[in-house]
Amino acid sequence: MSKQQGWDEFEIGAMLRSFDGKIDECPAFTPQRDRNYSQNSSHVASVADWRLIKPVYNKDYCIDCQFCWVYCPDVSIISRDKKMIGIDMDHCKGCGVCVEVCPTNPKSLLMFPEQADEETEIASWPTKDEKEE
Amino acid sequence: MAFDKLELNEIEVWDGNHAAAQALRQAQVDVVSAYPITPSTAVVEGYAKFKADNLVEGEVVMVESEHAAMSGCIGAAAAGGRVATATASQGLALMAETLYQASGMRLPIVLNLVNRALAAPLNVNCDHSDMYMVRDSGWIQFDAFNAQEAYDLNLIAFKVGEDHDVRLPVVVNQDGFLTSHTAQGLHPLSDDDAYNFVGEYKPMNDMLDFEHPVSHGIQTEEDWHFEHKARQHADTMNIVPAKIDEAFAEFERISGRKYNHIEKYDMDDAEVCVVCMGTSVETAREVAKEMREKGIKAGVIGIRVFRPFPFADISEALKDLKAVAVLDRSAPGGAAGALFNEIAGSLINTDTKVLLSGYIYGLGGRDLTKKHLVDLYTELQANADAGKLLTQQQQFIGVRGPKLAFL
Amino acid sequence: MLEIRWHSRAGQGAVTGAKGLADVISTTGKHVQAFAFYGSAKRGAAMTAYNRVDDKPVLNHEKYMEPDYVFVIDPALVYTSDVTVNGKDNTKYIITTHLPKDELIKAQPKLEGKEVYTVDCITIANETIGRPIPNTPMLGAFMKISEMYDIEFFKESMKRILKKLPQKIVDANMIAIQRAYDEVK
Repeated sequence: MSKQQGWDEFEIGAMLRSFDGKIDECPAFTPQRDRNYSQNSSHVASVADWRLIKPVYNKDYCIDCQFCWVYCPDVSIISRDKKMIGIDMDHCKGCGVCVEVCPTNPKSLLMFPEQADEETEIASWPTKDEKEE
Repeated sequence: MAFDKLELNEIEVWDGNHAAAQALRQAQVDVVSAYPITPSTAVVEGYAKFKADNLVEGEVVMVESEHAAMSGCIGAAAAGGRVATATASQGLALMAETLYQASGMRLPIVLNLVNRALAAPLNVNCDHSDMYMVRDSGWIQFDAFNAQEAYDLNLIAFKVGEDHDVRLPVVVNQDGFLTSHTAQGLHPLSDDDAYNFVGEYKPMNDMLDFEHPVSHGIQTEEDWHFEHKARQHADTMNIVPAKIDEAFAEFERISGRKYNHIEKYDMDDAEVCVVCMGTSVETAREVAKEMREKGIKAGVIGIRVFRPFPFADISEALKDLKAVAVLDRSAPGGAAGALFNEIAGSLINTDTKVLLSGYIYGLGGRDLTKKHLVDLYTELQANADAGKLLTQQQQFIGVRGPKLAFL
Repeated sequence: MLEIRWHSRAGQGAVTGAKGLADVISTTGKHVQAFAFYGSAKRGAAMTAYNRVDDKPVLNHEKYMEPDYVFVIDPALVYTSDVTVNGKDNTKYIITTHLPKDELIKAQPKLEGKEVYTVDCITIANETIGRPIPNTPMLGAFMKISEMYDIEFFKESMKRILKKLPQKIVDANMIAIQRAYDEVK
C-alpha cells in the first residue's frame, strides 16, 4: 500500500492480498522468485538495512536438522527438500536466533559484522569445542 | 447434504426469540458461534434444534465465552460463511472488543441482541444499556418493537449487511422478555420466499478462496488506521441508508410489511410526540390514540434504524412540533440520555422552536404503564401550551422515592 | 380486550399454558399476546404469566394488568400471593384447590364477594398425566367458565399444540382437560 492513498482508494476491510491476481496452484509449490507477490506482501519489503551483524553459513558442519528454518522469525532460512541452502539476506534482520539454536559443534552458523567477508570467515571457522573433563 | 423445509402456518404464535431462530433457519445460516445468556439463549438453542432436526445445513459452535463466540463468528465470516449469533447484557459487554473487530474487518455478521440491563445490581430484564454500550462500534443497528419485527429485521439484516457495497455487521435489537419471551401471532414468510429474499451468500475476500489468498485482521498504525475508520464511517453514512431503503422496499413487496428508518405514528398533524424504542413504541401508539380522543394531538416516533442514525428523518419529522419527549431506557451516567442527545443533535442548527425534554424510564425491566404515558403526554401538552419547558430537561419515570429532575 | 393473569410456580407450565391458549385463540382470527414474569426465578418460585386477546393487534406491552380472569394453578399461592391484586369488580377467579369453595374463601378472606370457581387441577393432573402439571386442566376449566370455545374444538386444537409429546401423554392431557371442564364449580 502506498502511503499516499486516501480513505477512498483501497479495498474495504482490515485485509491485504498476498499476491496480485489469481493463484493457479498452491504457492508452496512455486519457487519464491516466481511468485507474483503483491506490493502489500512483506516479501517486497527488504529489512537488510536493519542488520548490524549477519549470519554466515558453513555447510561443512550443517546436519540439515532444520532448527534454524523452524526458529527464524522472518522465514529467511532457505531450505529445499529439507536441505539447508542458505540465507535470504533481503529478509534477515540479523537477530542471531539461527545461531542460538544451531546444535552442531562447531556451529554451522555464526554471526559476524555486516562488512565481514564470508569466504575469509569460513576459512578461519572455529574448531570443535572440547568439553572440559 | 440435503435438509428438510418446514411448512409454516399463515399465522404462527411465536415469541421474539423463536421468531429470530426461525429467521436464522430460513436464511440458512452457515455458522452460529454462541454462548448462552438470558434472555437471548433461545435464539441459538432454536437454531441448534433446527440443525439437530435436519432443518438447516450449518454448524453450531459452542464456545467458552461471549468473547470467543464473536471471535468464532469473525473467523467463520472471514472464511466466507453466513454467520449469526445472539447475546445480551454482560454477554455483549464481554463481546464488545470483538464487535469492533467485526465491523473494522467489514464482516457481515448478524447479532441478535436481546436487550437486558447491565449489572450491578444483577438483573435479567429489559433495558437498553447494552444497545447503547456498543452504539459506536460500527455495526448497523435495527430495533424491533415486537416479535414479528424481530423476525423480519433478521432477514433484512442479512440482506443489507452482506451487500458487497456495505459489508458491515448488523445488530437486531429486541426487548428482553417483553419481546423475546412474549408470544404473539405473526405472519412468517415461506421458507422459499424468505431464502429468496435474503439470497444466496456471496462471499467477498473470503479466506477459503484459495485462488486469491488474503490476510484478515491486519495491523495499521498512525499511517493507515484513520483512513480505514474514515472509510467505514463514510460507507455507513453515504451507502448504507440507501441500501436499507432498497431492502425495506423489497421486503414490503414480498410481505406487505413496510419498514422505515423512523416509524411515524399519527405524526401528520401532531403537536406533541414521544420518541422511543422497543416495545414502548407500541404502548405509546395505543396511548397516543387515546390522547387524541381527549383532544391532544399526540404522535409517536419509533427509532427503527439506530445506526446509521436517521438525523435527517428526525429533523424533518420533529422540527414543526411544539413539544417532544425523548425516552431513554438506560441509566445516563452523568449526562443526558443517549437518544435525547441524538435527537437534540438532529435538531440543532435548524430554526425549530420545538421544546425537547428527556425521560429516563424502564431500567431493569421496570414497567412502563399506559398511565405513565398518559401523564407524559399531558405534561408535553402543558409545555406546548406554555410555550416553554415547565419541568427540568431530564426526568425519571416510574422510580420510587423523591422526584428526580436534572439539567 | 380480554386479559388473563396466571399465578403459578416456575415449572408448573403456566408459560406453556399461556402460549398454548394464545396459539388456540390465534387460529380463530383473534390477536393474542402471552408473556410471563419470572426474572431469574428457580423451579418452584412463585411467578405470573399473562394473556391478552383482542379483535385488533395487541399493542400494549405494559406489564400492569387489570385481569378479566385470574388462574391460580398452584393451591398454596392463593395464600402466599395476592391473587386479587389489580382485580376488577367482575374479575373471575379459577383456583386450584382440594377445598370446597366456601372453605377456600374462609381460608382466604380476600376472595370474599368475588366470582370464584374451584377445580382441583393438581389431583386431576396427577391422576391423568401422572405428574402435577396443572396447566392443561386449568384451560379445560376456563373453557367451561368462559364458554369461549366448544370443548371438542378446544381439545382438537390442544392436540395440535401438544403433538410433539408422546401419544400417551397427549391422550392423558385430553382426559385432564375434559375432567377439569366437567369438575369446575
